[in-house]
Amino acid sequence: MALCQNRLQEERKQWRKDHPFGFYARPQKNHQGVLDLKVWECGIPGKEKTIWEGGLFKLLVTFPDEYPTKPPKCKFTPPLFHPNVYPSGTVCLSILNEEEAWKPSITVKQILLGVQDLLDDPNPESPAQAEAYGLYKRDRQEYEKRIKRIVRENAAP
Amino acid sequence: MEQIPLPSSLGEVEALINALYQPNPPETISRIQDVLHRLQRSPEGWQLAQSLIANPNNNIKFFAALTLIVKLNRDSDGMSEDDAKELLQKVIGWFLQSLVDGSGAFVTKKLCTALVTYFMRFSQLWPHPLRHLLYSLDIGRGMPVEGLDDALPANVIVGNLDRRKLRAAIWFTASLVEEITKTDMNVAKYMPVHKGLQDSVADATCLLARGFSPPSDNPALLTQEDALTCFQSWVMYWQRGSAKLGPLVALVDPAMQCFADESLFSATAELFSDILSYCPSFLSEENYNSLAALFDSAWAADHYKEIVDGHEDGNIAFGLLMLAYGDAKVLQLMTGTDDRSQRFLQRLSGLLAAEGYPVHDDYIFVPALEFWSTFVETMIDEAFTQESDHASELLVWRPLAEQHLTTVLMNCWRKIQWPPVETFASWDSAERTGFTDARKDVGDLLQSVFALKGLPLVKFFVDLLLRSLELQIWPEVEACAYCLGSLSDCVSDSSNYDIELGRVFASPLFELLGEQRGPLPLRLRQTGLSLIERYSEYFERHAEYLPHALNLLFAAVGDAQLGGPSAKAISTLCSSCRPILTSEAPTFIRHYQTIRTSGLVLDSLAEERIVLAIASIIQAIPDKVQKMQAFGQLLSFFTSDIERAVQLKANPGMLNLSDPNFLRGVEQPSSAAPSQVPPAEEIALQIALRALRCLSSMAKGMQDVKDHVVDIDDDDSQQQTKQANNAELVGVQATILAAMLQTQETFASSGEVVEIICMILKAGFSETEPGPFVFPAEVVVDFFLKQGPATPRLGTVLSTACSFVGSLYRGPRMYVPNHLSRLLPWVISILQALPEPESDTEVAQNGIYFVDRVMTKYPAVFFGLQPFQTLEFFFMFCLKVLNGKEPLPKSAAADFWTSFITSKTEDDPALQATITGAIEHLGPLLAISLMQNFGGNAARSELDKLSEPLKKLVTGNVHAQMWLQNALQHETFPAHHVPLEQRIMLLKKIIALRGNRDTNKVLREFWLLCRGANFSYAS
Repeated sequence: MALCQNRLQEERKQWRKDHPFGFYARPQKNHQGVLDLKVWECGIPGKEKTIWEGGLFKLLVTFPDEYPTKPPKCKFTPPLFHPNVYPSGTVCLSILNEEEAWKPSITVKQILLGVQDLLDDPNPESPAQAEAYGLYKRDRQEYEKRIKRIVRENAAP
Repeated sequence: MEQIPLPSSLGEVEALINALYQPNPPETISRIQDVLHRLQRSPEGWQLAQSLIANPNNNIKFFAALTLIVKLNRDSDGMSEDDAKELLQKVIGWFLQSLVDGSGAFVTKKLCTALVTYFMRFSQLWPHPLRHLLYSLDIGRGMPVEGLDDALPANVIVGNLDRRKLRAAIWFTASLVEEITKTDMNVAKYMPVHKGLQDSVADATCLLARGFSPPSDNPALLTQEDALTCFQSWVMYWQRGSAKLGPLVALVDPAMQCFADESLFSATAELFSDILSYCPSFLSEENYNSLAALFDSAWAADHYKEIVDGHEDGNIAFGLLMLAYGDAKVLQLMTGTDDRSQRFLQRLSGLLAAEGYPVHDDYIFVPALEFWSTFVETMIDEAFTQESDHASELLVWRPLAEQHLTTVLMNCWRKIQWPPVETFASWDSAERTGFTDARKDVGDLLQSVFALKGLPLVKFFVDLLLRSLELQIWPEVEACAYCLGSLSDCVSDSSNYDIELGRVFASPLFELLGEQRGPLPLRLRQTGLSLIERYSEYFERHAEYLPHALNLLFAAVGDAQLGGPSAKAISTLCSSCRPILTSEAPTFIRHYQTIRTSGLVLDSLAEERIVLAIASIIQAIPDKVQKMQAFGQLLSFFTSDIERAVQLKANPGMLNLSDPNFLRGVEQPSSAAPSQVPPAEEIALQIALRALRCLSSMAKGMQDVKDHVVDIDDDDSQQQTKQANNAELVGVQATILAAMLQTQETFASSGEVVEIICMILKAGFSETEPGPFVFPAEVVVDFFLKQGPATPRLGTVLSTACSFVGSLYRGPRMYVPNHLSRLLPWVISILQALPEPESDTEVAQNGIYFVDRVMTKYPAVFFGLQPFQTLEFFFMFCLKVLNGKEPLPKSAAADFWTSFITSKTEDDPALQATITGAIEHLGPLLAISLMQNFGGNAARSELDKLSEPLKKLVTGNVHAQMWLQNALQHETFPAHHVPLEQRIMLLKKIIALRGNRDTNKVLREFWLLCRGANFSYAS
């Protein structure tokens, strides 16, 4: 538990010092303004020169007590239309899977950049929702139309 | 691209290298690079490096060193130990030679890298690289590694080295640390390298100590800067792990002396910023005191003044150093009431007031803001966790800390004020985003400060706003409104806050906001309108201000910049304040009508939000007649749109783009030049889609926000009666349904049309009270049955059907079997129409899921399906999917089979016999399919899901063992290399486990065995 808190403090410090353009990531505050380091509110901007450009998507990152031994859980709120996002909003990505590519040395910055990469580069090998996956596979034009609408609905301010 | 042939003589190679550094077109350069790369990789590369290093030309020497690095990295694996040792002596010889033959520093540095590369490859042959290099430097030639025992002690050698050699040794050390830092010290391959480095720390310390001392022997050759850089690399290495680098501490003092030299100032400041940020424990209390004294000196005051005056270029490093010190000592500074601490904090708050705009030309603001965020958070921690016996201390330091915070707030408030529009527009995009991000960071800081100060913070900005408003200083007013807006999530609903907020919302600001051509700049209007949205809860409590606020927002809807945010604010306010606003419904509908007839075409998203807003007010109207009247009025806009779209499709000649009703169908009407006008058919579709989306917004708006109790034993007819009696409601529903069906018929190939209709239907499924979008179940079933294999987005239709079944299950039971009996054959017929089970994964997944839901809850409907072949088809379909490769339908199939194996009924013996028969018939086939999966066909991520039906099989059926044994012996079992005994062993284990959780583990191990030992996830 202490390890988890220390690491998160450090992550936060590192993020403040250096974070990628257009992203935000901050621990959630309760009503009194006191921080809960284990739940972070993050914003993932769509990458430039992709159909996701101009969008900003809210992602909730929840760290378990066993972090960094275990990976955090990333969840788009509201759930995002994307082949690798479960209907609940949870992101399916190898670096977030304890049994796959998660390593305790992976930083919050790397996670968020990984999620950003995933937006325009879905992994058809591990679909997580039928709707986006189906459209992505069968009708790319309609898929892109849909993404563009989602980007408008979630326009970066 | 044509390749250059490989050169045949050394002269040609040299000519190519020289050509590489001449101004040449890029394609020539890349062709030269290409041939040189090929040369480096060829077996002659070693020889080439050796020949070229003797060349007097620096570029050629550099290329030689580079070639050596390439060879070491690529082709040194097969080298014998003797050859490798000889090579080391040679390279050290070249390195020494480069110090005396006039080679450029970049050549010597490249040779350092070559030596480090050598160490990374052959650390076992060169266990003490630094000491050995010093030894060779001392003797003046490349010495054999074995001779190291004869060397003088390192400190003696270092003391004797001339400055040139000393500097070269420092370069080598720096390169050594930097390269090794890039590797993982926990990976076996790199452990010896890290050990070698850590063993060198004492020698390095003594080397750097001399490097820091002013050069008396060669005053022209300075080594301090190199020593600083090298020390910094060590610090970064130290930060990476828990390496024991104690001796380096001795370097802190000599390094600090470098502050005195103006030319070393930036490098020294960077070094100490790193130490303070990454390993503050490296410094002793004495070191901290020295730094504190330094900050208090006149010298520091000069640097500080330069930053604050906006001359940040050469001084930013000093500001960052102050902040790093502040960060490392934040608690002591905060609780320290001594003059020095207070002076230092005062200066740190002053960093927030440097000349310039944040990010654009003031680079210290954002880092300083970070420090103050840490400060505030530390303060919160202390204030809320202080033990009571420390309470008296808190009383002493807190007022002082709060004074600093007040300065911080004022400075931030000044800094976030927008520059003039034209100034802002002249910045590049990174600066513009950076500035807005800095504003957000200030918002965050304010939220933290709120935790400490509460109401007075709100009052602070309200006072400031009213004062600036009176003086009409708009950027200040905007900044106040922005700060207040960022506190909206913090303030509670207590009347104290409402009094403060009331002073703002009753102020003339909101009169001015409404004036489109008034004095307020656009930014302020935007922030003002968003303030209304952010405080929507306030307006719920103070309905008297609400209509005025909404009218302001409606007035801004048509504005290109303000339209989007205003529409969003309208929908938030109307949705949360609907009961208060019911009397305003006709006014808002009129607003909407005015917008539509004004010739202005709203942004489609903004329009949907407004429609949602109005519908949510209509939903709350208590009087049924008035409610239906308002609803009908709003609905008619969209039914007319749909009619127009249908007519236009049939009769493209009626297109008239000067009519806003048609212009709605052209995306971005303002920018579309006449030549880009799409065909009438496309415009017709867009008009229809827009209308359907608005209908969908209406459906969402009409959703009830209150919970109602449902009696599932209720006689269904009662509710139907309730609905049927309301003839008006029935009529409205018929209108909506007809509009939807007509759209679908007219634009039959549009997937979006189907998708939106499904959304509209879904909005009604969750409702428990009658409403215009709560269609009777049989109407919904009729809609589904109209959809066939030709319907686009069938997957979405089936997913909607699944939601519909869920809503049926939540409602009265009476007619459910009847509805399901109609839907089930339809769903299976869609699956039958698929060319392959996996050709539409969404259809397959939702189809299986649908059947699963029916079978689980109403087995009689499922098992009673006629003709029997339909059922048989479905079972085979589901087995094929289970054997397939598509994860989503496969997961649905695994769920289905899990439910199937456990199906039973208690009160119907005939049905029970059918179920048992089906299980007996399908069990062996299911066993085969599962064993094919565990035999290696499944993906790892599917294993847990697939374990479920197997576990149920083992616990629930007496024949399971036999079926599974057959499956493991079956010719389709994929892992032929796994001997039968091992397969039977698996069977014994899983039978013995009786379906408990360890089964998953056993199956996983078996699967790995079948996949073969070489399989790993990363591959």
